Amino acid sequence: MTVADVAASQASLDYARAAIEHAYDQGWTDGLPVVPVTRPMVEEFLAQTPRPADEVIAAVPHLSRECTVEQAAVNAALAGCRPEYFPVVLAAWEALGRDRAVTGGGWQSTSGPAPLIVVNGPIRHQLGINCTGGVLGPGFRANATIARAIGLVVRNVFGIQPQELEQATQGIPGRWTLCVGENEEESPWEPLATEVGLPAGTDAVSATLLRTCEFVDNRHTQNPEELLADFADTIARTGAAIVPYSSAGLVLGVEHAQMLAANGFAKRDVQQWLYDRCVRSHEDLARVGKSLDGRTGPGIDEYGLHMLPSPEQLLIVVAGARNAAMSMVVRPFGFAGWSRSAVPIKRANKQQAPGPSVGADQDQRS
Amino acid sequence: MFDAMVDPTAGPANHARATVLAARKPDLRGSRVGLLANVKRNAEQFLDEVGALLRQEHGAADVVRRKKMSITDPVPPDILADLVASCDVVVVGVGDCGSCSASAVADGLALEAAGIPAVVVTTDAFSVTADAMAKLQGSPGYHYVRTAHPVAPLGAEELHERAVAALPEIVATLTGPAKAPGPSVGADPAQETLTGPRRDGG
Repeated sequence: MTVADVAASQASLDYARAAIEHAYDQGWTDGLPVVPVTRPMVEEFLAQTPRPADEVIAAVPHLSRECTVEQAAVNAALAGCRPEYFPVVLAAWEALGRDRAVTGGGWQSTSGPAPLIVVNGPIRHQLGINCTGGVLGPGFRANATIARAIGLVVRNVFGIQPQELEQATQGIPGRWTLCVGENEEESPWEPLATEVGLPAGTDAVSATLLRTCEFVDNRHTQNPEELLADFADTIARTGAAIVPYSSAGLVLGVEHAQMLAANGFAKRDVQQWLYDRCVRSHEDLARVGKSLDGRTGPGIDEYGLHMLPSPEQLLIVVAGARNAAMSMVVRPFGFAGWSRSAVPIKRANKQQAPGPSVGADQDQRS
Repeated sequence: MFDAMVDPTAGPANHARATVLAARKPDLRGSRVGLLANVKRNAEQFLDEVGALLRQEHGAADVVRRKKMSITDPVPPDILADLVASCDVVVVGVGDCGSCSASAVADGLALEAAGIPAVVVTTDAFSVTADAMAKLQGSPGYHYVRTAHPVAPLGAEELHERAVAALPEIVATLTGPAKAPGPSVGADPAQETLTGPRRDGG
């Protein structure tokens, strides 16, 4: 490299840095740096979907706000997505649109809930969506940026920003980072998308809002009912109950799932076992100031309150590495339950092979 | 320098236009007053107190009570149409949560757009979200009446006192000449148009 080359390179990087600072100055970021977006980049994203750019994919009617495919593309690019992730982002929006907590004002809620995006199908491997070790953690571009693309639309398109229209009291860690692939290869059961009705092997997204994840570390037992009782203790904790409602799901580690299956438990058996036993007594609820006060209704009996609305509302996803027997209890937000549905991912017919797109010849796309 | 960067906030839904406030009468004598309550505790009771005071002290003829069941969604079209058809002015409240305070502001603007002078009452804990909603709706600086947070736990006597305290500003917001749209010297035109009539006239 000549001195002039070095200087030119330095100038380019200085400009890139300034562009990122410009995005901060405009209020376009969630606190982390964003990728400066150009018009040709947006066209690359739009080329990945058969859906028209002006189609509305999400709306917040009470704020008179709508998000089009194109606006979602801009914010997916901003979030750091590769163009080929974009159909997953669109499917995630459609799945979130089926969640009553989302359409009922969840983005503004004092609970500050996080969208959990679950991806099934071969597309997980094609896009590098992590479904094994560290599945809930950082380090994987597809997981991190697909979830972030949702959050940037909430901020930039819906205009719902913290301490303004977003009124989270504390919020939750990882609010815009929860995109996971299901570990279908090591799960003993049918994938989530299949469980809720799509043909096996379909590329699909399911989504719901979560209030938190709580670990259950049980490397102690090989007895399935002891393990389930350990889950039940966390699921039924009073702090998670907004009487008379509570909710839970499981992101099951592979070892736990396989142990349960080896002992004859199908998913629906796990759901039923936990529904039957995750009950808090009237005395327990009264002790923490959450007495039912004579209320009646579904899930309430003379003993107390069922902490799951129904067996099938217990969301079960298998994800993570097969290296330790631990799982997460997750907490779907809202009283209406999750949608129990999965949205097929629709890609443009002429797929561009995944590969470097930054700096690609613009003429290739026209 | 950054002209080539695409604005991620830009879009067709972004061009909310400022709501022009409905024309006001100089007083409330003989007027039918709509009370649009939400489901938050004490909202209806507070509005009832306001309604009673408007009749006793300002000559309002009648009150029309309506309640909307969603704390988040805008006033349903049938209730909006009903209020527009049956009322001369409407009091909206009480915004005492994140979603419902913003929603109350949206409802106030919807009523103004339909030609009905309205006043929104929210608690001071949610001013920021109420202001943000006004801005989002294209009406930054929209004037609403604030009362102290919280309203939900108050007893009947305290609610009455709150209503008495808020009454002059409520009346001032519902009456007087609506400000003409348009710029004025030294003021943000949007603010000027949207702030609405106030007790002090400014």
